[in-house]
Amino acid sequence: MRCLPCSLALVMLMSCASEYKHLQPVGPDPACFNKIAPLHITTSWYNASVDVVGKHLSGLLLIKNMPDSSDRVVFTNEVGVTFFDFGFSREGEFKVYSVVSQLNKKAVIETLQKDFELILGLPFRKGLYYRSIVGDEIYFGVKQKSETAYFITSKDCASLQRLEWGTARKRIVSVTTPGSGYPSPETVVLAHHNFNMQIKLTRIQRE
Amino acid sequence: MYDRFKPFRSVIVVFLLLAALLFSGNPASAQYPGYSAIPDLPSFKKKFTVESATVESISSGFTQEKILSALTEKITSSGKFWFKRSNKVRIEYLKPFVYLMVMNGDKMLIRDEQKESRINVKSNRLFQQVNRIMIDCVQGTILDSKDFSPKVFEDKNTYLLEMTPTSKTLREFFQTIVLVVDKKDYSAISIVMNEPGGDKTTITFTDKKLNTQLSDAVFTL
Repeated sequence: MRCLPCSLALVMLMSCASEYKHLQPVGPDPACFNKIAPLHITTSWYNASVDVVGKHLSGLLLIKNMPDSSDRVVFTNEVGVTFFDFGFSREGEFKVYSVVSQLNKKAVIETLQKDFELILGLPFRKGLYYRSIVGDEIYFGVKQKSETAYFITSKDCASLQRLEWGTARKRIVSVTTPGSGYPSPETVVLAHHNFNMQIKLTRIQRE
Repeated sequence: MYDRFKPFRSVIVVFLLLAALLFSGNPASAQYPGYSAIPDLPSFKKKFTVESATVESISSGFTQEKILSALTEKITSSGKFWFKRSNKVRIEYLKPFVYLMVMNGDKMLIRDEQKESRINVKSNRLFQQVNRIMIDCVQGTILDSKDFSPKVFEDKNTYLLEMTPTSKTLREFFQTIVLVVDKKDYSAISIVMNEPGGDKTTITFTDKKLNTQLSDAVFTL
């Protein structure tokens, strides 16, 4: 029992440690970046499942590449009613085309905006990044204000492991694409690490 | 964080309410080529209620087409629908995704590809509203609902009911809901859901069978 306070202190200290502290910038690798960077998702319908702090919601999500190179993300329920329609321009501008009042809250929209920016690979499109090697993984990071978007590959650049949003200290969001990857992922799983929220997208095979 | 996402609960409730409307066995609509307005709406309502009451059960297929006009995109889905008097409804999407909703009295089951949920509609005022509208629909009393302002038209073979939502909540989702009903048996042929932004969803019922023996097991929760 005498060790308990020390153990707790150690655990607390460890929990305060940055998850990105081992990132040490190394030189760029344009060949790897060009080969594997998740820069967009081709037009697809997805079966969407959203779990937020014990609440579950399902529906259909359309990711649509527009002629002006922007992307639209539209979420409807199974019956067909549109819940939100967001636009992401090539220049990085975000526009709410429509959103039902139940979801029209600043925190909700900002969270969904950042989630889909990462899923669409928007932060990586400018091609400005720093690269770090940690263990068996390579981190490609793009700093945006107080947060950094990462895509993480295997050390040999053979596969995309995941995408992340992180602050200087903590991982906030991660995205994985089990099965086929970008630009036409079969499955997209987004998880928040600072609260209980997960979005799972499964591509619909249309007849 | 919990409170930030409380709106999702409302969305689920609204969705159920909309689903209840869409899959009702009864109709409504207006200003359409080949159709003329029914002048005596109160008489029609009475007749509609009486005729609808003769339908004890419905089993049907359906095809649903959602069109996003601004994005020139559409998605088509299909499934099956069952109704048994009184208070039993099963809606099952089969392609290209799986989604099931069963209502049985005060209880409801929702199953998507990830999760199954059972709901007691009495536990929530909004769920009670869903239940009431569902019953209004299947029992032929939807034309008396305070949630909609109806206009009714007819041609030789069908009635067309245009339902305009009166409540703010429903107006956010629908400009109108247009139902085409078969004069022969007062069952829905199609339902068009027009959204304020110009998108629309059309559901067409196929292979309808009325008043056949339906096992209660179809509606097991």
